[in-house]
Amino acid sequence: MRKATKLGARLAIATALGLVCFSQEAVERASRQDVAVIVNPKNPAGSLTLAELTKIYRGERQYWKTNLPIVVLFRNGGSYEREVLLHTVFKMTEPQYKQYWVSKIMRAEVTAPPTELFSSGMTKEGVVTIPGAIGCISASDIRSGMKVLRIDGHLPGEPGYPLH
Amino acid sequence: MLGRISLLLALLLATFPAPAQTTTDQSQSEMVKALLTRIDKLEQRVAQLEADKNSGSVPQLQAQTQIPQPQSKQVPSAEIQQNQAAAQMHEHDEHAQNGTVAEHHFPSLQVRGFGDVDFSATDEPGSHSGFTLGQVVLHLASPLSRKIAYFGEISFTAQPTAYSVDVERSIIRYDYNDYFKLSFGRYHTPTNYWNTEFHHGLWLQTTISRPEMIRFGGRFQPVHFLGMLAEGHIPSGRLGLVYEVGLGNGRASIISRAGDAGDVNNNRAWVARVFASPAGLPGFQVGGAIYRDKISPSPALPGNPTFGEWISSAHLVWARETPEFLAEFANVHHRNELTGKISDSQAFYVQLAYRLPWQERKWKPYYRFEYTHIPVTEPLFSLADFRVQDLVSSTAGLRYDISDFAAFKWEYRHTKRGPTDPQVNGVFMQTSFTF
Repeated sequence: MRKATKLGARLAIATALGLVCFSQEAVERASRQDVAVIVNPKNPAGSLTLAELTKIYRGERQYWKTNLPIVVLFRNGGSYEREVLLHTVFKMTEPQYKQYWVSKIMRAEVTAPPTELFSSGMTKEGVVTIPGAIGCISASDIRSGMKVLRIDGHLPGEPGYPLH
Repeated sequence: MLGRISLLLALLLATFPAPAQTTTDQSQSEMVKALLTRIDKLEQRVAQLEADKNSGSVPQLQAQTQIPQPQSKQVPSAEIQQNQAAAQMHEHDEHAQNGTVAEHHFPSLQVRGFGDVDFSATDEPGSHSGFTLGQVVLHLASPLSRKIAYFGEISFTAQPTAYSVDVERSIIRYDYNDYFKLSFGRYHTPTNYWNTEFHHGLWLQTTISRPEMIRFGGRFQPVHFLGMLAEGHIPSGRLGLVYEVGLGNGRASIISRAGDAGDVNNNRAWVARVFASPAGLPGFQVGGAIYRDKISPSPALPGNPTFGEWISSAHLVWARETPEFLAEFANVHHRNELTGKISDSQAFYVQLAYRLPWQERKWKPYYRFEYTHIPVTEPLFSLADFRVQDLVSSTAGLRYDISDFAAFKWEYRHTKRGPTDPQVNGVFMQTSFTF
């Protein structure tokens, strides 16, 4: 009888711990905000693969299919969007990112690193006013008139969306 | 409205660090993060207020954008934005009138520098140990328009009596798209990976020196090339093929130099290179190149012969640092046009390095093996004025990155040249940096 009580208590503790872990994971998952990729409303592109986005942000692809130059807008150091892109797109640390662009400019592949902007508002403004611009903002900052690209076939908030 | 607030907040942010210089980097970083969060919240609030004031379109759009759409509907966001475009025009115009935050100006010159200070000591007879000031290099990049850019590289090199100044690269490039870019100027000849990857930026390369087969002032391969170059991607999906095709002056009468002031004959040199950088293997690159030229050497040889030159080369690279692997091979084929005598010379190097995971990944040991073989019957390289020597060399070294933009390197090098030449051992040190 005593053994059964102990076993029951252990099961209850294990279940409780499992529930706590599950709820913590759910909270963490919910707190990971998706980062949306936005382009100028006149840009005919509607979707990109993550590989294409990577090429664009790394300066390996510099033109849209319409031969329009791509202008990459990037958030400044310390921002959430930058951290997400460094991790998922560049797969680099901050120093590696800086060294990457020194090397790329030295090879005469680009004239400058992506333009760095201090806020989501600036990114939105840049995307609106520059025809070939592409930028990343937190999904909660999406507003009317923005053109949000599907990445690997998914929009922000959908299961399988890769940028978070 | 949004733009003005952004600008004001950005200005506030920009002026903030001045009085806060005494605080630590960490606290500054936290403060910047807090300010950025605050900016974002304020912007969201402003946008919400504006949306509430104008119409109920924002919540509708947000709902449409964020709710998962059926996969068959390819571009729902495009449709959404079409419907909203007219409503946004007024806002866009306002932004445009205020001036965009990411406005580009042309030309927009950017200058970056590279430098190095070196120490060497060898047991080669007649050599002196001591310090040398390496090259001071200025790299220039300036977009002239959205599709035209200028790149330049100027070096200042210490000589016994003065400094020599060289225009290492001077290129103007016209882009049509990713598949076709046309440029004119002076290049580092694209027959060699090292030559086009690191240029004169010693800080960029792991080791102290270049491989012998492509060293500056060397004769085995032409380091510089003056003319025109077409380059771009080849549609190849994830294979990531890139081509380069060039036409230029080729080697000058002094065969280590390019024909900067005009070609030495009426035969143009040409070069073609193709390499693959697969999308799924970042850092991996494999490729090959062919170079064709006619050499008219000076001082002229008896009978005034010219030499046909074919260079074929290949490279295999894994440019990640854990590990880093570089390997290149080149064959130089010469034909004496007067006698018909032909010869082939080969050179290769293999370099291996590994970024150690400890101590903030600052340490990187490396090793390089180099080999050059010149047949004794080589019609050009075996002559005194154009000599290229055999080489068997091993280099072992250690790189320490003292900061993100400066490094110390220590090397031991063992070199053996001709059969009658003594073996040479040397230790070398260098600090190289970019600024």
